[in-house]
Amino acid sequence: MALLRTLLYLLVYPGLIFLFVYGTFSEWFDRKVYARLQNRMGPTHTGRFGLLQPVADFFKLMAKEDVVPEAADKGFFNALPAFGLAVVSTAALLLPVWNFNLANPGWTSFSGDIIVILYLLSLPTLILFLAAWSSTNLFSTIGGARVLTMLFGYEVPLFLAVLSPAILAGSWRLAEIAAFYQARPVLLLVNVLGFVVAVIAVQAKLERTPFDIPDAETEIVGGTFTEYSGKKLALFRLTFDVELVVASGLLAAVFLGGFPGGALLGFVFFVIKTLFIIFLLSLIRALTSRIRIDQVVSFSWKILAPLAVLQLLITILVKGFLS
Amino acid sequence: MTDAELIAKLQADLGSRAEIASPGPRRLFLKVAAADIVTVVTRIRDAFGVVFLSTISGVDTGTAFELLYHFSIPEQDLNVRTEIPREVPRVASISPVIPGAILYEREIQDMFGIVVEGIPDGRPLVLPDDWPEGQFPLRKDWKFVRPAEVIPGGES
Amino acid sequence: MSFQIPIGPQHPALKEPISLRMTVEGEVITDADIRLGYNHRGIEKLAEERNWIQNIYLMERICGICSHSHATCYVQAVERLMELVPPKRGLYIRYLVSELERVHSHLLWLGVAGHEAGFDSFFMYTWRDREIVMDLLEMVSGNRVHYAINTVGGVRRDLDEGQKAKILEGVAMLRKRSVYYFKIGASEPSFVARIAGVGLLTKEQAVALCAVGPTARASGWDRDVRKEDPYAVYDELEWEVATADTCDVLGRVVVRVKELLQSYNMIEQMVQGLPAGDITVKAPRKAKPGETVSRYEAPRGENIHYIKSNGTEKPERLKVRAPTLANYAATVVMLKNGFIADIPLIFAAIDPCICCAERSVTLVDGRSGEESIVRTSDLRRRALARPANALVKGKAVWPF
Repeated sequence: MALLRTLLYLLVYPGLIFLFVYGTFSEWFDRKVYARLQNRMGPTHTGRFGLLQPVADFFKLMAKEDVVPEAADKGFFNALPAFGLAVVSTAALLLPVWNFNLANPGWTSFSGDIIVILYLLSLPTLILFLAAWSSTNLFSTIGGARVLTMLFGYEVPLFLAVLSPAILAGSWRLAEIAAFYQARPVLLLVNVLGFVVAVIAVQAKLERTPFDIPDAETEIVGGTFTEYSGKKLALFRLTFDVELVVASGLLAAVFLGGFPGGALLGFVFFVIKTLFIIFLLSLIRALTSRIRIDQVVSFSWKILAPLAVLQLLITILVKGFLS
Repeated sequence: MTDAELIAKLQADLGSRAEIASPGPRRLFLKVAAADIVTVVTRIRDAFGVVFLSTISGVDTGTAFELLYHFSIPEQDLNVRTEIPREVPRVASISPVIPGAILYEREIQDMFGIVVEGIPDGRPLVLPDDWPEGQFPLRKDWKFVRPAEVIPGGES
Repeated sequence: MSFQIPIGPQHPALKEPISLRMTVEGEVITDADIRLGYNHRGIEKLAEERNWIQNIYLMERICGICSHSHATCYVQAVERLMELVPPKRGLYIRYLVSELERVHSHLLWLGVAGHEAGFDSFFMYTWRDREIVMDLLEMVSGNRVHYAINTVGGVRRDLDEGQKAKILEGVAMLRKRSVYYFKIGASEPSFVARIAGVGLLTKEQAVALCAVGPTARASGWDRDVRKEDPYAVYDELEWEVATADTCDVLGRVVVRVKELLQSYNMIEQMVQGLPAGDITVKAPRKAKPGETVSRYEAPRGENIHYIKSNGTEKPERLKVRAPTLANYAATVVMLKNGFIADIPLIFAAIDPCICCAERSVTLVDGRSGEESIVRTSDLRRRALARPANALVKGKAVWPF
């Protein structure tokens, strides 16, 4: 019985099927917001309001021919997309939506799970680099180099920004952090600076404009994904969608006070808060242009990192003040 | 300065090296000998500020190749014409004087088979790599014969 | 580790095939090599076998975006050979279409620049506005591209009052929107960071390499064929040459924006001052023997046609030099020491119309081969031989 429950948990909710549905829904929302800001329609015809468009794209890609370059490292090349999807799905299990019972820490909610989720979110970047490396294509190599260079830029501000509310809440467990802020909503205002830094850093992690340098279509054809096609490309794109959900869920849990109210109400809050963050990310995407890799690194270290450190300082001061 | 003033100044400066004609307003045609082309171009660049070269045209008149260097200054266009014999089509390069002439000289080399002496980089510009030697498309005696169409796997 | 990156002949950044071979170290370009020849169609040789009227349609098809500029430059030359003077009304309509074409081309270029920089919203907005111009052109000539409005001796279609009113309306709307969007473009820091300081071409280099058009004007060299060689209408209108002095891609954007606003003024003046009368005179079949040079300011720079006639109804020699070819030499100089990320922007900043630049003779049967142009080492030697002046880095002044 427990085995069946675990299997349902892993495959249906909050496992793969739920992540597929919600990931494609977030992609639809993102594309629709982006298009409306540009005075276009966005997905319209597939399903009502074009809701099924990302699903259709996924199935179209699954049906296409899968070409593997001869010089590529076949083991890595074939395995990496599935590996990436596995990593972000595991990260999704740690969100405090479906493990809101504070008194019952399970294997998806434990002290230190905020660190684990950040770690699991860093892995896709390394996977992208390995995918680029194993493609042995000139454009992919440049894309992979750019991916890693960006990692040096945004990772530190992201970590600092996300860990500051945890320090204020005095706990390393996402569910407890969310509960702390639900009890004292005023303290959310302490973290506003960190929220701004985290949104920008997440935009960089997800490789969206203005940070979509590794995937700059007009410069290096496809960047990391130049050689990927068919099922593997479909899985990579799904990885990005799920990563969008996980990142916005993480930010909502830590900065926007989590998802109170139990199973059903908590889920509704989850949808609302993650869509709010996705809306912010789409806004940034529509309103800026792509910046160069050296500008990303200098921007991160000259502006983002000091702001994140400032946020940490503010948090520590407030914590000392409160106790 | 007006057309008449410019013609007078050029005539005084270049003397017998150039024959100047003005068929219409703002258009001057200078005829120089092929050996003098570099000296004349240098002279008009230094003394009259003529630095802008629009292009170099080649014309196949049947007996000779005529080269026109189309220069311009804000008030007039100067077109320097020179003729080279068809049997020995050689002319000196003006790229040392006007660096922007390099592409146009390479084009003349390809299209007419004129050898531009002293050109810094004489690689073919516009013709394919596998173009046969000695075929110069813009000469009047070069005609294109369309190859018979072959339908693969069908009746020809 | 340095290796060569090929951009093209097929690449998402290029709208037409051309091959740029860059040698890079990390992200910095150390050498660049442009190869031409992929789009040759043998137009100059073809023109020798068609009569004067048929050649108008051949000239139009040299390019899609600047089709009217080639047709007009050609027709100007032929009219001079035949000693025809088209009626004023015909000339006004012809150059009205020229200015509309300039507007559409510059809006297209601004969208492309935005897209190359990753600023897709800017791209979508400018192309939405370009639809207004395309609709006006369709109303005037019947086509959105390849207007076919020129004929030897005048134009083929007339404007009536309703069309004139629509043109004025469209231009007023465009002017309002252009100013608004360009304010946004000027103040969007990520966009300006991408285009400022990129693709530097000093005035000395531009003069030595004979650059043309907005590329040269952005380096402070104020040559514009419409002022120097005013063909019929331009010396009756009030307008100014647009220049900038920042010598980089930002300067080129500013120059094109200024030209857009000037064009709106010119279109309004032309529509309001349209003289009455015929639109064409009858042209003879044969032209008198002679030769003529005709120059025209296309959106991309100076377009020059040289025609020699031997008294028959076909030209003896027709030579076309489109503006992009003149800018290739300058492009190689601009690319050196840039970043890979800047390649599309630098190349797009000269507004390349690659099919324009390749119309000399070769009837390529089958595949086209590889071509090489100038080696950067030669150009570099030339450019460095002149005393290196300090690069002019003025603050770009937006025109509002």
